[in-house]
Amino acid sequence: MSPLRVALAVARKDLRSEWRTREVVPALAQFIILALLIGNFGFQIDSRNATSIAPGILWLALVFAGLVAFGRTFAAEREQASLEAMLMTPASPVAIFAGKAAAASLLLIVCEAVMLPALSLFFGTPFSAQVVAAVLIATVGMAALGCLFAAIVARVRARELLLPLLTLPLWIPFIVAGGQAVQSAMGLPGSYSESISLLIDFDILFLVLTSLAARFVLDE
Amino acid sequence: MNRYERAAVGAVALMLIAGAAIFFYAPTDYLQGPVQRIFYLHVSSAIAAFGCFAVVLVGGVIYLRNESPAADRFARAGALVGVLFTTVTLVMGMLWAKTVWGAFWVWDARLTSTLVLWIIYAGYLLVRRLADPGRQAARLAAVVGIFGFIDVPVVHFSVTWWRTQHPGPVIINDALPPQMLATFLFTMACTVALAAVMIASRYRIETLVDEREQVFEPAKVLVAREPGGVAGPVQ
Repeated sequence: MSPLRVALAVARKDLRSEWRTREVVPALAQFIILALLIGNFGFQIDSRNATSIAPGILWLALVFAGLVAFGRTFAAEREQASLEAMLMTPASPVAIFAGKAAAASLLLIVCEAVMLPALSLFFGTPFSAQVVAAVLIATVGMAALGCLFAAIVARVRARELLLPLLTLPLWIPFIVAGGQAVQSAMGLPGSYSESISLLIDFDILFLVLTSLAARFVLDE
Repeated sequence: MNRYERAAVGAVALMLIAGAAIFFYAPTDYLQGPVQRIFYLHVSSAIAAFGCFAVVLVGGVIYLRNESPAADRFARAGALVGVLFTTVTLVMGMLWAKTVWGAFWVWDARLTSTLVLWIIYAGYLLVRRLADPGRQAARLAAVVGIFGFIDVPVVHFSVTWWRTQHPGPVIINDALPPQMLATFLFTMACTVALAAVMIASRYRIETLVDEREQVFEPAKVLVAREPGGVAGPVQ
């Protein structure tokens, strides 16, 4: 089987199991709504300062939802010990990793489809294609990194502790550039196109690095 | 005294001489006053930390290539010593900033990226602590160490890439008077020597730990009974 077909098959399997159990997406969607609620009560939000606070709430909610989503990708495999079985097949570990990463990022994108309208509903911020594009472009690289570290910690004790510690520092470039992009898309000063091209640079950098590293993480 | 103790005494003596040079040889800065003397150790420990993280990077790459336990021990030693020197850099920088900027911390690119560097390698040490020691932990940590090194050039170039509150490079711009430059170069050499001695002793400790835990030993195999001998494990 070609690596692409392996990746698609793994992604389809993960999505199907999510469709049948409906575990991750409803939990994450609820988590995101709760995060917006906390943002509302943590800040004094009114129509004047909403655009300067909403991007921060968006990224906080997205980052922590992402940690949960990527942490779950390998949790189910571990509980069933099915990752070892998949790795025993002749399929390449990189293709399996790519499939799992694609499925996890699709789940996160579904959550973003809840978060972005809810954000503009609750805070009255503009809901534009620019905001959506910035969040989606950042999701690509964040998903690659998040899945890599989720695979790393899957075999470690205290993985719930370690995943945020390892992933968040490397997500900072995406939060810096993505935060800037969303801020300028919501009308605050800053160059939108510059931050988007920076996001794409980070995407390429981390996609290349994670695909090189995936072999060492999943091998065994 | 064994050679590790001798090297440690030598490194401490060098650091004391560097301290004497910082306080008695280097002139007092006209604008900043005595607080400028923090600069010598602050920049030197940053450079030493970069060197330690380079050890983690190279050790990790070599480990992934040929699973050499020695490379992994060097990476472990480098990460620990590197986090220590990054801590020194951050703390000394904050003391300087409080006097000169009026605040311990500002969210400037250099400070933020250095803090991220500290978090990444502190995370590396946590991986080592939480993963069961052995080949898998070594391999995972190698990946973390290689990814973490991306931040080192970011820290280094942050002052040129972004407009930062942190002062720009003074050494390569030839902005130091000769006595300050001599003091700085001497302090830097002593600090790098201290880091090297610390890595070497830590490497020795990691070797002893590995030998006691036998983490990299191949699984023992029972062989057929030799004529006249007894069956037993072979290494």
